[in-house]
Amino acid sequence: MSLDDFEAVLHPAFMAGLEGDSAAYRRFLDLIGGRLRGFLRGHLARAGLAGAEEAEDVLQETLLALHLSRHTYDPAVPVSAWAHAIARYKLIDHLRRSGRHRGHLPIDDEALSLATPGSAASDAKLDVERALAALPERTRTLIDRVKLKGGSLAEAAQAAGMTETAAKVALHRGLKAMAKVLSRRGTRTS
Amino acid sequence: MKTDDLVSLLASDAGPVEPASFARATGLTALAGFAACAAAVLLTFGPRLDLAAALATPPVLAKFALGTSVAGLALLAFQRSLRPGRAAAGVLALVLLPVVTVVAWALAVLATQPMPAWPALVLGRSWSVCFVMVSLYALLPLAGLFVLARRGAPVRPRLTGLAAGVGAAGLATLAYALHCPEDAMPFLATWYPLAMAVAGGLGALTGPRLLRW
Repeated sequence: MSLDDFEAVLHPAFMAGLEGDSAAYRRFLDLIGGRLRGFLRGHLARAGLAGAEEAEDVLQETLLALHLSRHTYDPAVPVSAWAHAIARYKLIDHLRRSGRHRGHLPIDDEALSLATPGSAASDAKLDVERALAALPERTRTLIDRVKLKGGSLAEAAQAAGMTETAAKVALHRGLKAMAKVLSRRGTRTS
Repeated sequence: MKTDDLVSLLASDAGPVEPASFARATGLTALAGFAACAAAVLLTFGPRLDLAAALATPPVLAKFALGTSVAGLALLAFQRSLRPGRAAAGVLALVLLPVVTVVAWALAVLATQPMPAWPALVLGRSWSVCFVMVSLYALLPLAGLFVLARRGAPVRPRLTGLAAGVGAAGLATLAYALHCPEDAMPFLATWYPLAMAVAGGLGALTGPRLLRW
């Protein structure tokens, strides 16, 4: 699929997601996730790091970042370019954090369109899991329940004895806290 | 956690989001930053005594124009730099236009004067005060802009920091012009741009560390 064709399906899903349509939003996440997986694997492989697990870690951190940065989307740019710029930032940040970033990553839009989408997910290396462990227990339980209920916040809220509004707020705060833990992991204080 | 699980988790948090409100935030932060600078200038120095009469004279207007154009362009670049995928460096480079304009104007003024008069025209009576204070006042809006930047997604934090610093110095220039008693073009074209460079450098230096996300 060319980048233009990809944008043609990605853009409406994302825009509907911005208005609160969670089915469309899920479609957006699946589409961009598949695309970015290929992109990240390709780049990590070229950096001499072939681990698919590592790519999955960066992918999960990127998806979380995309989610929490939805308000920064500028309608003047393609959604894929916006997502790609964030993935690139998270990839460089990941490499730098682990002390393996050498010079500049030659990443351009072409790299995204050449990425082979659709390869199967592999297991992540537990980074997100570790971020989850840093959350207060109540939030963690709620997140586990949402996972268990296949993403239904209403059911998870009921099971946790919370109102749906309270669960919504707790979930959003939890995701923000996870992103913070992830961006601080392995920071060297030099 | 499986990526699929994470995706359902994120999808369940898909409340409506309005990107337009974030765009307004830069304008509001700049306004607040300018108000803070103006208040600081008026409290520490007070307005120049002949402000009412000087307000419409070319030197004061030139300071206002320099401050406004630099702040406007740099803040536009700043705002764009918080939105991934949006190019910002080009707009920031346009800041050089008003700076080059005042420098050219200053050189034209110097050309009409005998060389012994040059130092007085460039240094004025308060060059160090102007240079140091504009750099210091710029810290007020700079702090606000950095707080705002952390709510954005600065994928080029050095550029974001540079734009924030230059923009903050533009706002400080505008505020300090209320006090600045110097009306020589060579003075204006030297010390204000230098203060902008210092504030921009500070932003660029601290951006990558303070704006990590």
